[in-house]
Amino acid sequence: MNSLSRTWGPLKSLSRSAGYIIKRNVSSTEEYQRQGEIFAYEQKKQTESVGRIEKIEVRYEGQPENCIFTMNKNISTPYDCAKHLGDKFRDRSAVALLDGKTLWHMHKPLPNSCTLELLHYHIQNPSAVNKVFWRTCSFLLGAVASDAFKTNIGLHLHSFPSPSVKSGSFIYDIQLDLENWQPTKPELKVLSLEFIKLCQKELPIECLDVDKDMALEIFKNNPHKTEQIPDIAAHNGEKVTLFKVGPHIDISRGPMLPNTNHVGRVTVTNILKLDTDIKGAPVYRFQGVALPKFITLNHFAYGLIEERGRILNSGRIPGDYDSLNEDNSFLAHASQ
Amino acid sequence: MNQAEVSKLVSQLRIKAPTRLRKFRNPKGPEERLNKMRKTVTALVKHERIELNFPRAHEARMYAERLISDAIRYGDCHKSTMEMADYWLVEKQLVHKLFKVLAPRYEHYNIACTRLLTAPRPYPGPEDKKAILELRGNPYPSLLPDTTSNKNLIHNILLDEAKKAYRTRKYAEIAAKIVAAEPNLEKPVVAANSDQKAGE
Repeated sequence: MNSLSRTWGPLKSLSRSAGYIIKRNVSSTEEYQRQGEIFAYEQKKQTESVGRIEKIEVRYEGQPENCIFTMNKNISTPYDCAKHLGDKFRDRSAVALLDGKTLWHMHKPLPNSCTLELLHYHIQNPSAVNKVFWRTCSFLLGAVASDAFKTNIGLHLHSFPSPSVKSGSFIYDIQLDLENWQPTKPELKVLSLEFIKLCQKELPIECLDVDKDMALEIFKNNPHKTEQIPDIAAHNGEKVTLFKVGPHIDISRGPMLPNTNHVGRVTVTNILKLDTDIKGAPVYRFQGVALPKFITLNHFAYGLIEERGRILNSGRIPGDYDSLNEDNSFLAHASQ
Repeated sequence: MNQAEVSKLVSQLRIKAPTRLRKFRNPKGPEERLNKMRKTVTALVKHERIELNFPRAHEARMYAERLISDAIRYGDCHKSTMEMADYWLVEKQLVHKLFKVLAPRYEHYNIACTRLLTAPRPYPGPEDKKAILELRGNPYPSLLPDTTSNKNLIHNILLDEAKKAYRTRKYAEIAAKIVAAEPNLEKPVVAANSDQKAGE
């Protein structure tokens, strides 16, 4: 940590507000570009490999009425079906449920004829939706954190454990090149603001299954992800599921929300140093709380939730002694 | 010369009153505007929930709030309040309802006694904005979705966890206090035991 970052703090936006302008993190934009190109290439290849368009029958169950859609195999997504139902159903649907058992990302093409249900936040038992929401928040927290720090601070995303709303906060474990950093209130506020800005951009969250080699190529500059990928691929038929929001790409089992605008109120509550045996720089646990925009809560009650989110999350602490992947994520879910 | 403060002459309403009044379309002059308002206020007191165009609802809400507020403050033995009630409620049997039902109902409220919600308009159809104006505590089913009773909703889970964390902290504090007071407590406990034995 050089003298400059000690004076102004490690975050980009804070230093800017303090009157000191630092150029955008060049290496991270280049990295984003490189990853984005590979992602776009693979995406294009997969859409072109569909070939002759075949039709499938999707039986929709739920409001406003049960109906049958004739959709395109490997092209149409649950989101396309939701568009036929109307704005309300398109915007509120968080995740699709195929054949009553498989949770399916809203932007992932449907491979076969199936029955379709669209889940939202106000259903009788929304535990699956809550988990999807919490996982997406972790993923977005990674996106926010990887773009918020200055160029001279090394940052490697490690992983986030399987989402648990009961733990009181969503988390992302990140390796940061800072010794004993204790974030100040303004720094946490800046991170929260960056999060809100990301959500206001209304970016769609894309999903793509890629080969192990392709995943290794995308994450070749991240030592932790490179270690995790072989394990993940072994538990998922040699495939790795990637999610992309804006320029940021991450590994997760999914599913995620269809769009960042589902996140309403959000706060980055605390950043705590973890006691692990991971080599290199210390690992910090970034914690936050959020609510979907469809759920309104008064500020006092939300304050209580924020207060709870400051306590160190009980999620599994990553380390060399256990198996490498957490939510990244197949082992954790297989045991559930 | 000091001007009397308005807030001391009339009770403050719990809604935000607009700075200017709406004019509406009144071929018969300003009195007609008040007649329209009377009609709406009467309907509100009578039916407790009405659906109408937004501007009219927003305007009539003020008069209804003032009427109920005065009824609570002065009661039915106050001459000018009774005159006001007589003027604003076109159907006279509602005067009884105002003083005997509504005033006791809102006596201990610390929020406004009416609620104004925007309502969807028919499409295709006239483009006027619609609203629903209701008296709180009415007997009809709620217009807003119930977000409190379902414990599985995400905010309820989070609030439950916050509650648990708070309780654990409080119990820990109490336990710490007891431990701190332990040396003093020990003797009386022993004494009580020996007393019991003596009693037996």
